[in-house]
Amino acid sequence: MALLDIKNLHANVAGNKILKGINLSINAGEVHAIMGPNGSGKSTLSNVLAGNEVYEKTEGELLFDGQNLDDLAAHERACAGLFLAFQYPVEIPGISNMYFLKAAVNAGRKHRGEEQLDAMDFLDLIEDKKKVVQIRNDLLERAVNSGFSGGEKKRNEIFQMAMLEPKLGILDETDSGLDIDALRVVADGVNALRSPDRGFLVITHYQRLLDYIVPDFVHVMVHGQIVKSGGKELALELENDGYASWAGEEGP
Amino acid sequence: MDFNQQREQAAADFKERGFPTTKEELWRFTNVSPVADKEFSDEWKASNLDYQPLGKICVVFENGKLSLEKSSFDNLPQGVCIGSIMDLVDPRIGTLADTQSAFVAANTGYFSDGAFIEVADDVEVDEPIHLVYLADVDGAAFHTRNFVSCGKNSKITVVEEYIGSEESTYWTNSVTEVFVADGGDVDHYKIQLEGKASYHFQTLEGHVGADAVFSNHTVTLGSVLGRNDIRGKLMGEGGLAICNGLYLLNEKQHFDTHMFMDHAVPKCNSHELYKGILDDKSRAVFCGRILVQKDAQVTDAIQSNKNLLLKRGPKVHSMPQLEIYADDVKCTHGATIGELDEVALFYLQTRGIDPVAGHAMLTFAFANEVLDEVKNKAVKSKIERLVNAWLERVTA
Repeated sequence: MALLDIKNLHANVAGNKILKGINLSINAGEVHAIMGPNGSGKSTLSNVLAGNEVYEKTEGELLFDGQNLDDLAAHERACAGLFLAFQYPVEIPGISNMYFLKAAVNAGRKHRGEEQLDAMDFLDLIEDKKKVVQIRNDLLERAVNSGFSGGEKKRNEIFQMAMLEPKLGILDETDSGLDIDALRVVADGVNALRSPDRGFLVITHYQRLLDYIVPDFVHVMVHGQIVKSGGKELALELENDGYASWAGEEGP
Repeated sequence: MDFNQQREQAAADFKERGFPTTKEELWRFTNVSPVADKEFSDEWKASNLDYQPLGKICVVFENGKLSLEKSSFDNLPQGVCIGSIMDLVDPRIGTLADTQSAFVAANTGYFSDGAFIEVADDVEVDEPIHLVYLADVDGAAFHTRNFVSCGKNSKITVVEEYIGSEESTYWTNSVTEVFVADGGDVDHYKIQLEGKASYHFQTLEGHVGADAVFSNHTVTLGSVLGRNDIRGKLMGEGGLAICNGLYLLNEKQHFDTHMFMDHAVPKCNSHELYKGILDDKSRAVFCGRILVQKDAQVTDAIQSNKNLLLKRGPKVHSMPQLEIYADDVKCTHGATIGELDEVALFYLQTRGIDPVAGHAMLTFAFANEVLDEVKNKAVKSKIERLVNAWLERVTA
């Protein structure tokens, strides 16, 4: 059984049809990349998977780890092991990153019927995960994403992913706005989290990120449909030829 | 004119002028007729209200009168003088408070007690000086007058806490004048927990010397009708005034904050962050006026007023006002009135936090931003407890 099975997914935003029949299957241990021009529906796909109610699923089936995602609200999907790294991580002044992380980790533990982590255990977990994704202490003590640089925000997303240990990590244009050093830090974190029990869906506009996070499969999304799938070499093909041959006159 | 003559004059002025009406610009959104139309007595009785001293220095005013029995301020550090304003004198009393205000005139004319705090030069007091005002006489008016003088390079924390009975309709009319000498640092807090049938008005004036810091936090939860007039005067180069506040209002509460920051000299900074959380049919008014005088070059003034409405019922009038006569200045202001950010709620949800917990977390976060600059730990945890208890009550 696949970790994530997307069958004939259609979705609307504010009455506009954005996704028009997506089919995609991701197994544990695999890294899939979705590439596509602006407006192709990439971010809509990640938001629909995460359970954002602004996006309306109109048709199709979403199976995650044997559960029908229609039955789960956003926080239940997260607790079930689905993680979305945001394109634009939200700033939350007034809540420290540590407090937020502890609430998130304990929400997942509560959902799974595990004991809540106390302050000491939680600090041990933080120290453990800092070995996977390096993050400065001051970023942990400051308010969530408040006044963080673009790179720091994305690093914080990957650190959260390390803390929450999801079954599926969805990276929504994590590379946007990052310089090459920040990109490498993010990619190193993701690579360290790759494991046989974990799948990734990496959504990106540019091939650049895929130099660092090498995918097993690449899918090209245009006008709300996957128009071509292949191995990692497909990304290079796109780099050379662009999306024009698929996008037609509406292309970038 | 000595101060006694000044007091007689103020009482006469108040009798003649009476209370302000909504026809006056400064009172356009706050109708004080419930106070104006009521007769108040000066009846006194002992108070049954509880209070928790923050530390060793606690000065308690029981229905307007200093209670030596309930207070504890012996063994004060060298250079610190605390007592009743009726027993101690300073020529600066009455020189700062706004004489244009009817409430100040009434206070000057009729005050019958209040705290007098004088700290000599080069004294640092670690313990907060906790002033507690207990009010539970129905129909009474309490005109309390406080005077705080912080010497050169001295450092003190002053906490005014107003506690009232929920059943009594009374009127607190307080004036506090704070003088911070050059290099001094006054960390001032006002926690207003008056009863929900009471009226609370206070004028707080801070006179800030060169390289001095006047920091003020107000936390307002009580009174059905009330107002804080907070006035900072930056009178020496290098001065800093921080005036932050939080008002948590529900039911039919109406609370008004009028801020006036006067940059009279160059190279001073002022920071103002005022946040409100409103529920039910409550009303808030915020007017923040920053005046940068002609000579006040290299001024840096920031003002922000943000309001969170928990329902559709509450209303807020927010009015930032900048008046700038110097050219080398940095002034920013902003005002927002809105609901919780749906995107932030979704963000928390994607991390496993359910919508009810997420709502509570974001509402607390909204309030908590104001507490970032609360330096005193005992005060901070007290305010955190108050905010959490309030949030639990209104969201229950």
